[in-house]
Amino acid sequence: MTRASRLSEGKRAERRLAWLLCAPATIVMLAVTAYPIIYSVWLSLQRADLRFPNDQEFVGLQNYATVLTNSYWWSAFWVTVLITVISVVIELVLGMALALVMHRTLVARGLVRTSALIPYGIVTVVAAFSWRFAWTPGTGYLANLFAGDTAPLTERASALAIIILAEIWKTTPFMALLLMAGLALVPEDLLKAAQMDGATWWQRFTKVMLPAMKPAILVALLFRTLDAFRVFDNIYVLTNGANSTSSVSMLTYNNLIKALNLGIGNTMSVLIFIAVALIAFVFVKVFGASAPGGEEERR
Amino acid sequence: MRQKRFWAVLLAGALAAPAAACASSSGEGIAINVYYAPENNFATVVDECTKAANGRYHINYQVLPRSADDQRVQLARRLAAGDTGMDVMALDVTWTPEFASAEWILEWTGDDKAAAEAGTLAGPLRTATFNGKLYAAPKNTNTELLWYRKDLVERPPATWDEMIQMAQDLKAKGQTHQVLTMGAQYEGLVVLYNTLVASAGGKILNDDGTRAVMDAGAVRGLQQLQHFASSGVTSPSFTNQIEDDVRLAYQTGGGAFEVNWPFVYAAMLKDAPDMAAKTAWARVPGVDAGTPSRVTIGGYHLAVSAFSRYPQEAFEATLCLRSAEHQKFSAINDGVPPTIEAVYAEPEMEQAYPMRDIILEQLRDAASRPSTPAYQNVSTVLSATLSPPANIRPQQTADELRTTLQNALESKGVLP
Amino acid sequence: MRQRSGWWWLANFLVVFYALVPVLWIASLSLKTPATITDGNFIPREWTFDNYRNIFNTDMFIRALINSIGIALISTVIAVGLGMVAAYAIARLDFPGKTVLIGLSLLIAMFPQISLVSPLFDIERRVGIFDTWLGLIVPYVTFALPLAIYTLSAFFRQIPWELEKAAKMDGATQTQAFSKVIVPLAAPGVFTTAILVFIFAWNDFLFAISLTSTERSRTVPATLAFFTGASQFEDPTGAISAAAVVITVPVILFVLFFQRRIVAGLTSGAVKG
Repeated sequence: MTRASRLSEGKRAERRLAWLLCAPATIVMLAVTAYPIIYSVWLSLQRADLRFPNDQEFVGLQNYATVLTNSYWWSAFWVTVLITVISVVIELVLGMALALVMHRTLVARGLVRTSALIPYGIVTVVAAFSWRFAWTPGTGYLANLFAGDTAPLTERASALAIIILAEIWKTTPFMALLLMAGLALVPEDLLKAAQMDGATWWQRFTKVMLPAMKPAILVALLFRTLDAFRVFDNIYVLTNGANSTSSVSMLTYNNLIKALNLGIGNTMSVLIFIAVALIAFVFVKVFGASAPGGEEERR
Repeated sequence: MRQKRFWAVLLAGALAAPAAACASSSGEGIAINVYYAPENNFATVVDECTKAANGRYHINYQVLPRSADDQRVQLARRLAAGDTGMDVMALDVTWTPEFASAEWILEWTGDDKAAAEAGTLAGPLRTATFNGKLYAAPKNTNTELLWYRKDLVERPPATWDEMIQMAQDLKAKGQTHQVLTMGAQYEGLVVLYNTLVASAGGKILNDDGTRAVMDAGAVRGLQQLQHFASSGVTSPSFTNQIEDDVRLAYQTGGGAFEVNWPFVYAAMLKDAPDMAAKTAWARVPGVDAGTPSRVTIGGYHLAVSAFSRYPQEAFEATLCLRSAEHQKFSAINDGVPPTIEAVYAEPEMEQAYPMRDIILEQLRDAASRPSTPAYQNVSTVLSATLSPPANIRPQQTADELRTTLQNALESKGVLP
Repeated sequence: MRQRSGWWWLANFLVVFYALVPVLWIASLSLKTPATITDGNFIPREWTFDNYRNIFNTDMFIRALINSIGIALISTVIAVGLGMVAAYAIARLDFPGKTVLIGLSLLIAMFPQISLVSPLFDIERRVGIFDTWLGLIVPYVTFALPLAIYTLSAFFRQIPWELEKAAKMDGATQTQAFSKVIVPLAAPGVFTTAILVFIFAWNDFLFAISLTSTERSRTVPATLAFFTGASQFEDPTGAISAAAVVITVPVILFVLFFQRRIVAGLTSGAVKG
């Protein structure tokens, strides 16, 4: 009896401490975002245009019907999905290779690690600008090398490929950094034991390293997918959405920020949000991405 | 010599900037905040106008971003929030109806109006007017010209079809032949299409900007644009090129013809003088033989914010900033064509604007872009539907535009 | 052994090549003269430092550089600090509301930032922090926190906390146990997170351009949009490239400094683990 109550006493102290520790971060996040997010959802249910302030009225889900039956929206949606899937998959493979090199290299470790992180540190808009110039016929070295007489940024397929290339170049180091942190968690003695048992490199990689890195891999995938789905800067600079290369964020920018149509624009925001929430849900529930503090935590 | 002046100006700017910032925070007297696009020597004009105010107010030059879209977004956001920190703003000629109907800018009346209108070219003035009222003072104007290689062609083409033919002939002879102009999915493409429609005597919207008409002339414009884009004489990058891409392509020897704003000539004199020596200019070609082109007008206005605390001083400052003397200064130093007709006759303009006669000629019967508060929507829909121009199917595209433009005017539906 | 190091040299070369070619291209653009900037040569035919001279001659760029460094550093310290305590609680303690907190932070990380710009602008103007350092630090901390909490708690959960107890049994005090055992183990995660947060704040363009209006708080990415060409339609390609090179330097320094700490943390972790 006394034991049980002491336990719950300790439990309560633990809770209090936990809440105390989480409070500052929670308060900051809520204070800054609660109002804007709620406001955004509210506006998505209105006919609201900044230039016609007197015409504002509640229209229920009409904006959602308008957007979801629109061909521009679906074109942008599938472009976004395509960019997200291809770039994240390639980034994972390249990022893993990069992480291995950065983690294991025997020579020039500092140089490799530093230079690998530079793409990530460069301002996206500037990097995109460099790609744009590089792929412009006549002025760019890549266009002169590969494109011959055509202008790759003006064809839908090649423009999308360049957008994906720019995304991959920029964010693979991010992937590698998170994966490298996972590599540090691979128990060294287990690897040695496997090596002594005659396991090949590939076996050691898939049987020992990957399982140990799973949490890090899923975190990296989750964040990159969420991020890739909101791709904006690269498209804005490289094609500005021409030739049907708009992403959902570009479309939102055009309707919300440029056209000042708060109703339709915020509807798109909410839809992107829902799509991204679904992605996160799938990662956490289906793949079991370690939502820190999930069930597995309780021992 | 040129270099020296450049450094001097740069230094002056660097010294003036913090000084201006200090003056605003010292709280002495009235501060008039002018939000204007980045222009290398505009700070000099601002300082002169502060001096002219004799201590009654001080003008601060607050720089807007370079791109027109970014400028508009920043201004609109602040005006929608009723920001009192902005007094005078630079507006692209196409924004007047939008800002006026949202009641973000003040109407010009009485003596101020008379002063703003005196001697100002009709074209620019029309774009500063909405519903018969003047809402801004034209600061500078702009109009695209045809630039061509006089070593390759003897005389400038009078129509687009003739230009295409000339380019094809050059191509057949294996010579530099391309016709370079802006074809990316953005405002520049709308400018081109608007010029074609106006030259063909057509209309995109009706005159009060409430209905999408897309008449026979507008269809003719679509045909012309499609024919041009698919005739094999454009740059492969045509559909991704904006002003500066076109300028660079031409001055590095990429084309025989260029349709672009006058800034290209000053830049060419500096970067590629031998190419400039081979270049002549002419009126932009027309659509129908015998009917001269009507060319789309560009440029900037100055408007007074409805939320300004010192509207009277703001109007006065605006008139000073766009006075004939200062327009001449900006025209010579920053390459922006004046809106006051008399300035073109000034002797110093001869050297800076050897093409001034054609500019004036085009400005006199210039075409404006559709005048509607929803212009941004119209422009977005147009540039997306016209892109890529080679894929236009004139009649079908016109029908499609009639519906989507009407929706855009009523701010219905999704913009591309 | 020698052959292996040869392979590593090759792998390293590929990494450096991959990472640096586009950067060198920008550097090359920044060193070209206006006349040769579009010649398509990877190596400039005519060299000039004019572009650098021009940007450093303006107050605008230097102010922006100071703003960028200050804002990014402060944001990093605050976000990592707040994130660390929250992540510790999530990784180590059992309490109701944990899932809600994680869900909340993910929610924030996921919301399209474009749609938050206008309401944030309104709020900041009302509170009076529009166009101040604080006005940018607040959203940067907010949007970096989910990333910080998520990565830090993932790291913290992997730390063998039993070692702390073991050290205490061996006679170490609580403080010693924490600073000698736990801190080295946690360091790589913390520094990795710090790099991510710093780069997020350093790179941001959307908030920087929406929540500032003067040189008082404008950061470098936002300033790029204010550079002038010789006239309205000319792009200041050279100046932008030069600025891009300059703003890459602090990132290189930051990474150099922190990657050593990461290495140190990793190796000590490997020995202990």
